[in-house]
Amino acid sequence: MPSLVRSASPRHNGITKLTNCRLVRGDELVWDDVWVSSATGKIIRSQAAFYDELIMPDEVIDLGGRIVSPGFIDCQLNGAYGFNFSTLLDDMTQYGKQVRDLNRKLVRTGVTSYIPTVTSQTSDLYKGVLPYLGPSGSSRRPHDGAESLGAHVEGPFLSPTKNGIHNRSVLRVASSFADLEEMYGAANINPRCPNPEVEVHSPSSSSSSSSNNSSTSLPSSPVSSSSFSSASSSDAQAARNSTIPVKMITAAPELGAMTRLIPELTSRGIVVSVGHSEATYEEASAAVSAGATMITHLFNAMRPLHHRNPGIFGVLGTNTTTPSTTSSSISTAAAAVPAVATSQRQQQQPQQPQPQQQQPGQKRRRPYFGIISDGIHLHPTTVKIAWHAHPQGLILVTDAMHMVGLPDGRYAWTNGEGEHYIIKKGSVLELEGTGGTIAGSAVTLLECVNNFLHWTGATLPQALKAVTATPAAMLGVQGVKGSLEAGADADLVVLSEAAGEEGRTELVVDEVWKFGVRVFERKKLV
Amino acid sequence: MRFFIREDAAAASAHVANYIVDRINHFGPTPAHPFVLGLPTGSTPLGVYKVLVEKYKAGEVSFENVVTFNMDEYIGIPRDHPESYHTFMWKHFFSHVNIHPCNVHILDGNAPNLEAECVEYEAKIQAAGGIDLFLAGMGEDGHIAFNEPGSSLASRTRVKTLAYGTILANSRFFDNDMDKVPKMALTVGVQTVLEAREVVVMALGARKALALQRCVEQGVNHMWTLSALQLHPHSMIVCDEDATLELQVKTVKYFKDIEQVARAQGFEQILPSKIRTGPATVPTTIVTDEFPAPTIHSPQPTTSRLLRATPATEYPVRSRSPSPEPNFTPRGHLRVDSDAQYTVSSRSASPDLVPDRMAERMEDPALLRRLTPNPEQQQLLNSVPRTTITA
Repeated sequence: MPSLVRSASPRHNGITKLTNCRLVRGDELVWDDVWVSSATGKIIRSQAAFYDELIMPDEVIDLGGRIVSPGFIDCQLNGAYGFNFSTLLDDMTQYGKQVRDLNRKLVRTGVTSYIPTVTSQTSDLYKGVLPYLGPSGSSRRPHDGAESLGAHVEGPFLSPTKNGIHNRSVLRVASSFADLEEMYGAANINPRCPNPEVEVHSPSSSSSSSSNNSSTSLPSSPVSSSSFSSASSSDAQAARNSTIPVKMITAAPELGAMTRLIPELTSRGIVVSVGHSEATYEEASAAVSAGATMITHLFNAMRPLHHRNPGIFGVLGTNTTTPSTTSSSISTAAAAVPAVATSQRQQQQPQQPQPQQQQPGQKRRRPYFGIISDGIHLHPTTVKIAWHAHPQGLILVTDAMHMVGLPDGRYAWTNGEGEHYIIKKGSVLELEGTGGTIAGSAVTLLECVNNFLHWTGATLPQALKAVTATPAAMLGVQGVKGSLEAGADADLVVLSEAAGEEGRTELVVDEVWKFGVRVFERKKLV
Repeated sequence: MRFFIREDAAAASAHVANYIVDRINHFGPTPAHPFVLGLPTGSTPLGVYKVLVEKYKAGEVSFENVVTFNMDEYIGIPRDHPESYHTFMWKHFFSHVNIHPCNVHILDGNAPNLEAECVEYEAKIQAAGGIDLFLAGMGEDGHIAFNEPGSSLASRTRVKTLAYGTILANSRFFDNDMDKVPKMALTVGVQTVLEAREVVVMALGARKALALQRCVEQGVNHMWTLSALQLHPHSMIVCDEDATLELQVKTVKYFKDIEQVARAQGFEQILPSKIRTGPATVPTTIVTDEFPAPTIHSPQPTTSRLLRATPATEYPVRSRSPSPEPNFTPRGHLRVDSDAQYTVSSRSASPDLVPDRMAERMEDPALLRRLTPNPEQQQLLNSVPRTTITA
């Protein structure tokens, strides 16, 4: 006779239930379960799975009250484990292999997605490396490790006086979009076609074709457009995003025509970040009004806050456009610069609104901003002030160099201008012979989170948000990355709280899950 | 009726949860012979679910071979709505224990044919062998499930319109917006609950005091539907001190004394072993694996079985004894409406009719013709349904 009770189905559905854990949900830690599927690589809606599909998880893992956070997202990583993204190799197929090796190592630190960053370099290097640094998650293979969400080109359209350790001789000024294309390679900042004016503005031309028709020169196929659908207003734009290797550009808006070019970049789904810049408050405001949504390592490589001109930092201080005393300068800056270009553009893109142009007094979005909380780049109090100025915008970044993950010592480094050496002592990197110029950092993102917790008194979820939900929102992948809600990619970090020095709480990465599969588990200390 | 008074809500909840765990473990459910549990929603049983989950996690009980039926569900709100009873059960119970989704039954308030859904639900309960233990909460107006005052005590699973007071009370879960509150619900009937082999009712808090008094100290009355519990042979009420406020001191003392005496004698008030363990032999299956969309049978006159309920007949009888007449419709699924399925075949339900006309006893043959039609015809008419039952 058929039994009245049906036991759990023997077939495997690849679903794991993590239970007895605290989930980072918004600004709270919530006791709840999370169900992840290794089949779809996503967090699943457990109630619907139970009632609709009548499934039980294959495996139930009791985490013993530990914290489950979305996987970390590092928005500024120059390299790691001895591999520098800003490197041209003789055999560029080795470059791809090196990136994949790095991905598998990097994921063990809790970073499940990142933005590989290339510093100011010559055009040849950009054109050589960018095809290898584009979005790499489309295959959704858990054991590929950390996933690139697209490359970050930090330069070369930067201010020569705020170059940091970037090579001043490669810095350029852009006067037109063609300059950007020439620098980065048209294929790297355009969806498909080398002529952006035709391609980008033709309505819906690329929505389906571009996602199917990835250029064969790219090592990575595009991420499916559905996973990005929440990222942008239109599917067409989402499809375009996915094929562009470059996700973010750091530029000094005050130079050349950069402010005017911002809408061109954002229309392609590229995030424009203000950094390495001498921009005044007015210039920074104009850039934000034009569509810049990020500030690269706030405070570093920019004018300091001055009480009469707050500089770039000032744009965090208000959520309206400037009061009437300075609005004239903005409107002239915003209006005068693109006068010619917009008239050309508007003929070709009548459907493109100009969301960034706003009236004075109207609320505008404050930009997100990167903070390097390694204890060297910024004073703890500075971090705290920035956080209080705009808590929803703070993104912790490492800006780590390729020495991260390596033992202390003296490492060769080039910015394209002769041989230099960087001295690594712990997480401190100094350029040899410069008397202490900071040469990026060698911290992990988790160390940044722990510092941030300690310095600001932020709660755990608030600190973790700065490396999960906030960067995801900045990159337009909210709900897909940096989230534990159903439907998001099942990239998870299991954290335990350990007592660190001076009684402070230190988070420790115990487990890392990528696309619903555990890819790292810390060895238990017996 | 067993009646337990505990100090507070937590103690009452723990008592009920412990009782359920004991019942399940003593029952020893197997895949072929599961423990069938009827479950309520609402604030009252929350504590019970909490303890049940704790006990599951402590390994004291397994729900692997437990089949559940829920009492009710709103009509017209999405199944995954935060206030739906599907969500409630998922959030507070099912997601934490090892119950298999195939064994969970909750009325579907979005079914295309709600009436058919109700018929099918009753059929599923029958197919699972009837409910072993129905847990219930008590409403402020003495309602059980959504059987609000005035509901028939012989009612079965059906569509119910909610009373204004209930809608008003529920609006606190729906942004205090009356328009968002579902106005209708599917609910098991009073009769459905009473057919369970055991009914455990909880009443917590002073707000339930009046209802508890009506249901325990006063007569059976459809205005306090839970009072029908008095007709159940194995019912249990568990309440906290606050809920006893309206009871007579005498009543409270009486039940407390009984519990104490029983315990002093080392004698717990327990169910007959037949019910505690269920039948030793598994009833012949009447289950077909799939349920075709049930058809609505023409309304059948229902004689309330309440009137027949006596402790002597272990009511209701779990298994339909093998009957020469199959209880199947030609399509092979259950007949859910027939009284016949509870009839034991060894004897007829009532004495056979002996056709005998008063007129025949009359002296005057002329009278014979003036009276009713031929007895032979009458007998023929009567015998048709009778034989189907007693054969």
